[in-house]
Amino acid sequence: MAATRPDPMARYVLPLAGSGSAPSPPADEGARVHLPESLLVRNVTWFCRLRWLVVSLLAIFGGLDFAPGVLSRVGLRPPGAWPFVAAAALALSNLGFLAHARLMATAATPHRARANLWAQIVADLTVLTLVVHFIGSLETYVAFAYLFHIVLACIFFSRSWSLVVTAVACGLYLACVSAEETGLISRAGIYADAALRGQIDGLPGVRLLNVSWAILTWVVVWYLASHLSALVQERDTHLAETNRRLRAAQRERAQYMLRTTHELKAPFSAIHANVQLLIKGYCGELPPPAQDVLQRVAKRCRRLAAEIQEMLQLANLQSKIQGPLSWGDLDLAEALASCVEQARPVASGRGIEIETDIQPARTTAVGDHMRMLFGNLLSNALTYSMPGGRVRVACAPRPGAGPRVVIEDHGIGIQPEKLPRIFDAYYRTDEAVRHNRESTGLGLAIVRDVVEAHGIQLRVESAPSVGTVFTLEFPPTTAVPGQTRETRETDDGPRDDCGR
Amino acid sequence: MAHVMIVDDDEDFASAAATCLRAAGHEVQIELETSAALRSMTQRAPDLVILDVMFPESSSAGFDLARQMRGASAKLTAVPVLMLTAVNQRFPLGFSARDIDDEWLPVHDFLEKPVDIETLRGKVAAMLGAAGARPPGSR
Repeated sequence: MAATRPDPMARYVLPLAGSGSAPSPPADEGARVHLPESLLVRNVTWFCRLRWLVVSLLAIFGGLDFAPGVLSRVGLRPPGAWPFVAAAALALSNLGFLAHARLMATAATPHRARANLWAQIVADLTVLTLVVHFIGSLETYVAFAYLFHIVLACIFFSRSWSLVVTAVACGLYLACVSAEETGLISRAGIYADAALRGQIDGLPGVRLLNVSWAILTWVVVWYLASHLSALVQERDTHLAETNRRLRAAQRERAQYMLRTTHELKAPFSAIHANVQLLIKGYCGELPPPAQDVLQRVAKRCRRLAAEIQEMLQLANLQSKIQGPLSWGDLDLAEALASCVEQARPVASGRGIEIETDIQPARTTAVGDHMRMLFGNLLSNALTYSMPGGRVRVACAPRPGAGPRVVIEDHGIGIQPEKLPRIFDAYYRTDEAVRHNRESTGLGLAIVRDVVEAHGIQLRVESAPSVGTVFTLEFPPTTAVPGQTRETRETDDGPRDDCGR
Repeated sequence: MAHVMIVDDDEDFASAAATCLRAAGHEVQIELETSAALRSMTQRAPDLVILDVMFPESSSAGFDLARQMRGASAKLTAVPVLMLTAVNQRFPLGFSARDIDDEWLPVHDFLEKPVDIETLRGKVAAMLGAAGARPPGSR
């Protein structure tokens, strides 16, 4: 009997690697490359602001008609009402464009933003043609004002659409000149001396040459501007794509790191818990040698778990693409005091006394990083102190400068020639290894990265068998280098962990 | 004696924690999947839930279960939740104790793995003693 398949059978086809994020082909010259809608909307409003300036200039020019003698003194004739008509037409259209832009602020689409820009350009070119006619289409340079729109169209539209704008500008200008030439509309102009225009009127070849030069100039400008703009837009597109991929990689990396932390630490957690059951006698009494072995297993578990944690912390600190940091106003005294309290059980276990002279000292910093920094330096001081020794922790503000934090021990010290290497990841001096085999060698590497990120000056003074002093001098609050305060928060007090 | 439910996909850890808590006189139930845990606790609400964060099918299944418990029924809303995590509280990719939020993450406390079993025992005793005295999310 033939076996019957369940119906319907679920089907899944494994996507080929990278098929979801194939690289975009480079934009061909002339290909339509779109700007992001947010940028388009911003430029819609920018155009509107510029237009208010033009409206004002036209109104002022029209107003000069009411100041007797001003225009005639510079050789111009009274303009009449046309500047006000042009200003009013631009102002009304501008209000419409702004209203449309406000609507787009809630639901912007490239199509709507581009339609708005097109409407602005058509309205502008129409009003500009009127202005060209009234100022003087041939005897002045006002016709070159069409170039503004041609260049802007090259920036915001594809090459083909910017060519359309250029053609519209040329067409309107030719229509204006033709209408004047054929007498369809009476000639105008702002020069008081009619002879200026009259000289050109008598020379049809000069008129034709002037018009041709103007149009040729626009076409050449269009060609150059649109070519350069296409190159820039292509680059923008590639940058946007690269940025998108980087962000996707960052998200993926964050998830991977989280999962890795869990996967690496979870087995140690199970081993640690079961070893403790044996050590604490939950499964019956064990002979002392077995207890000793289990203590070593438990100790190694704790060390490995801590090492994994520190490796991931260091990797995260060194990652330049991690998410925005939580910079905020912070009282170092609180963070430091919290870390000292955290360290006291370890200190008392080894008979080490922690002396504190901690004064309130505010700065701008990432709270988590400060606790990581102080926690690692304190841990270092306690680890390399002699039993029954003393560790001094001080914090104070400095007039005209950032706070100073000092962590001093009277432990094994460091030989001078080894000082430059102590901040290298995994570097440990022979003396340090002999004194304590359990340290990971990553604590001071974490300290180095935090210090660099905050622009803190770190000084180490040490002598073998005398001790080590770490001095942290924070920069003034306004001069923390190399960081963007992408998110700011007010520190809400210390947390219950200090980097270990 | 209290009814404690341990929800953790790591059977080795869950068994060790259960041994410790049983020795303290509690009745301990182990659930390796969050869906089975929710079904079980809907039938019989535990006095306390020890909940892992990450499960094989979802890295936030523990969070999801805590939220589901809050929305499931009044008796489950009142059950204190002790969340366990192998991700350090301060680790920037993880979360912190101050992220305990009534809406987002309705749990009472965190413990970071590897957990000291005596600490776990003490924390469970303290939470059971305080159960009902404070709403979820308060610290």
